[in-house]
Amino acid sequence: MTYGFARNVKRAIAAVSAVAALCGVAACGAGSKTASSGDANGGKTARFLYATGDETWNATVKAVVDAYNKQSTMGTVVAEPLTAGSDYATAMKTMDATNNWPTIVDMRDYTTYAKAGKLAPIPSEVTDLLQDDAYAPYSDGNVYLVPSSANNGEIGINIVYNKDYFNEHDLEVPTTWDEFIKLMDDIKANGDTPLATAAAENWPSDQIFKPIANSVFAKHSAEHGGYWMDVANGKASLDELKEPMEKVKMLIDNYVLSGWQSTQDAQTTTLLVTGKTVMATTSAGLGRLKDINKVKSDFNAGMFLIPDEEGNLNVVKNAVGDTSTGLALSAQSKENGTYDLGVDFLKYFYSVEGSNVVEQSGTISANIKDSDKVTRNESIPGSEDYFNLLKNPKLKWISNESPTEGTFSSFNSFFRQARVAYQDNQKDLDTTIAELKAEFAKDVPAQN
Amino acid sequence: MATVRRGTSGASHNAIHAQARRNKLMMFLFTLPMLVLFLWIVIFPSLQSIQLSFTNYDGISAKYDYVGLRNYQEIIGSGRFWNSTKNTLILGIGSAFIINVISLAVALLLDHIKHFAGFFRTIVYLPSLVSAFIVSTIWKYMLNSNFGAVNEILTKMGLDSLAHDWLGDSKHIIWVLLFLICFTLGGNTTLIYLSNLQSVPQELVEAAEVDGANGLQVFRHVTWPMLAGSVTVNFTLALIGGWVIFDQVMVLTGGGPGFVSETMAFFIYRLGFGEYRAGFGSAAAVILFIVVMITTLITNKYMRSREIQQ
Repeated sequence: MTYGFARNVKRAIAAVSAVAALCGVAACGAGSKTASSGDANGGKTARFLYATGDETWNATVKAVVDAYNKQSTMGTVVAEPLTAGSDYATAMKTMDATNNWPTIVDMRDYTTYAKAGKLAPIPSEVTDLLQDDAYAPYSDGNVYLVPSSANNGEIGINIVYNKDYFNEHDLEVPTTWDEFIKLMDDIKANGDTPLATAAAENWPSDQIFKPIANSVFAKHSAEHGGYWMDVANGKASLDELKEPMEKVKMLIDNYVLSGWQSTQDAQTTTLLVTGKTVMATTSAGLGRLKDINKVKSDFNAGMFLIPDEEGNLNVVKNAVGDTSTGLALSAQSKENGTYDLGVDFLKYFYSVEGSNVVEQSGTISANIKDSDKVTRNESIPGSEDYFNLLKNPKLKWISNESPTEGTFSSFNSFFRQARVAYQDNQKDLDTTIAELKAEFAKDVPAQN
Repeated sequence: MATVRRGTSGASHNAIHAQARRNKLMMFLFTLPMLVLFLWIVIFPSLQSIQLSFTNYDGISAKYDYVGLRNYQEIIGSGRFWNSTKNTLILGIGSAFIINVISLAVALLLDHIKHFAGFFRTIVYLPSLVSAFIVSTIWKYMLNSNFGAVNEILTKMGLDSLAHDWLGDSKHIIWVLLFLICFTLGGNTTLIYLSNLQSVPQELVEAAEVDGANGLQVFRHVTWPMLAGSVTVNFTLALIGGWVIFDQVMVLTGGGPGFVSETMAFFIYRLGFGEYRAGFGSAAAVILFIVVMITTLITNKYMRSREIQQ
């Protein structure tokens, strides 16, 4: 009996040890992901986590990583897409909770992570390659974010349209807000639906709102950061957004294809090329033209910006990218010895050679000092419209920085949902504005 | 001799006790690894979320401040929270009732099927083998307003007027979700009812039939009382499942249009992850836990009392 008990205890201990060993192995497995390891290039391996969703950006990441690895002597960069089906914030938080940061991060909401000490400063050997207005230091003086593409602001938030339809019906690209409305009336009179837009994921609701709200943002001082900074500091009011919100609702009620509430961003391309609508909103700029060409190579696509009443093409262009997005290096890369490899990759990314790879993949390369040596890719059908927009004399760059104190991203997420609720007749405008004011006060304090 | 017998009996008694103690120790040792993991992964983080519910923790920064009851006050005053509570109640209670009624009816049918019983049971259980995420994704494609199979079929049948933006109509979205949830979750419930139905003593059924009871009377007075235990289990499980509905909302609507289809579980997720308000989200999670506990206890108490009466 005693022998039997002892044997059972030994078995139990063996079972506990086995589980413990498994946990240990699992922990080692997790740990090994964060550590550097050898590679074919004789150096280290660095992971580059990037946001998927935009086909052109996926192709760009693959092209530039492959090109870098071919010439690298320091190590290898591995492109790691965000898990399909996961949203960016969740993936980032999971990665942070498991202490599994990659070396290079395709960053969003960077101020939240910079404040928490999760990012490593980007050295001057990288920033020196960039034009001075292509990046900006954080409040502690360090640069944590560098652009992933050209800082053409939010010019990518515009309208793509069916050029053949316009030609066939003698329609012109509008040069004022009134012409834009008349254009849609004309399309409606032909028995067609003018515009497709999307709001299933909330963020694409910016595509129809921002170009119209930019006329309000344009009235605020660029030297103080713009509209949102003015709201935070009591120099502007959210009531000013009533007019653009009403305009958007008017468009939704009269000219937009029904079902926009559950339409996803990528579906607007399909709606356009299948002739369900004549125009579609986008925020991918040149990338959307490339997607259209991929879906239907003989589709004659064009692109224009929604003008304001005076014919100005107001476009937000802040110091770093459009909305605090870009490339960053993780603080963890310093611990696991891959920081230098990350820096080397960024130096390649901002070299003329790297920029040419980026351009050929369909993305407009970042604003580097040697940008005049970069070969621009004008082979994408419709891209001439995009480049002409950049030269348009009516183009008016405006500044509208996101407040860094507090959690503006929390407000922005709420703002998008609240706008959709208003556009969908769930709430009236005054109630929506009152709720936005309460949320803003909660999330965003006065800024320094 | 008598003394020896008592001694032998006492020694044997002690041996039995010692064996019982050893068995208990063995059982404890075998459960220890899982217990440690469970405490580490589930219990401690849950307790920590109570602490975090009194802070302004953003889920990322190491530093946070205690804000007292502010998170709870804000939740109570939030229309968004009450909307998600209403949705959770509709989906939780609604799905619990509908799933149980349909599952019981299907189980009764399956219980009477004489041919291909295994095939039909497999068909009924099949949806439960697919994850809610995948089922929801398939439904998302089928219900797509512009390209979905459902609207295509309706249009081809000449029923254009019934074609609809199923996932974008704020007035009906919660009922669409209820339908889809019931479709996904019925398999396990049916299986429990079916196994219970098959354990109903046939002699009781036959005795009732001999006494002249018709099918409905047999069900009302014999089968139904015998199912009381499984009704309690199934209803409680369905109710708890309903309180924490997340996958379907995440995939099908993302809580929208606007905030209209947010449930409590989704609300907590959106705040904690998407809006970097982990402290506030923790407070909402604590409230959800209290709601689930209270409703489960009340339901269980009622169901148990019903079992005793039967």
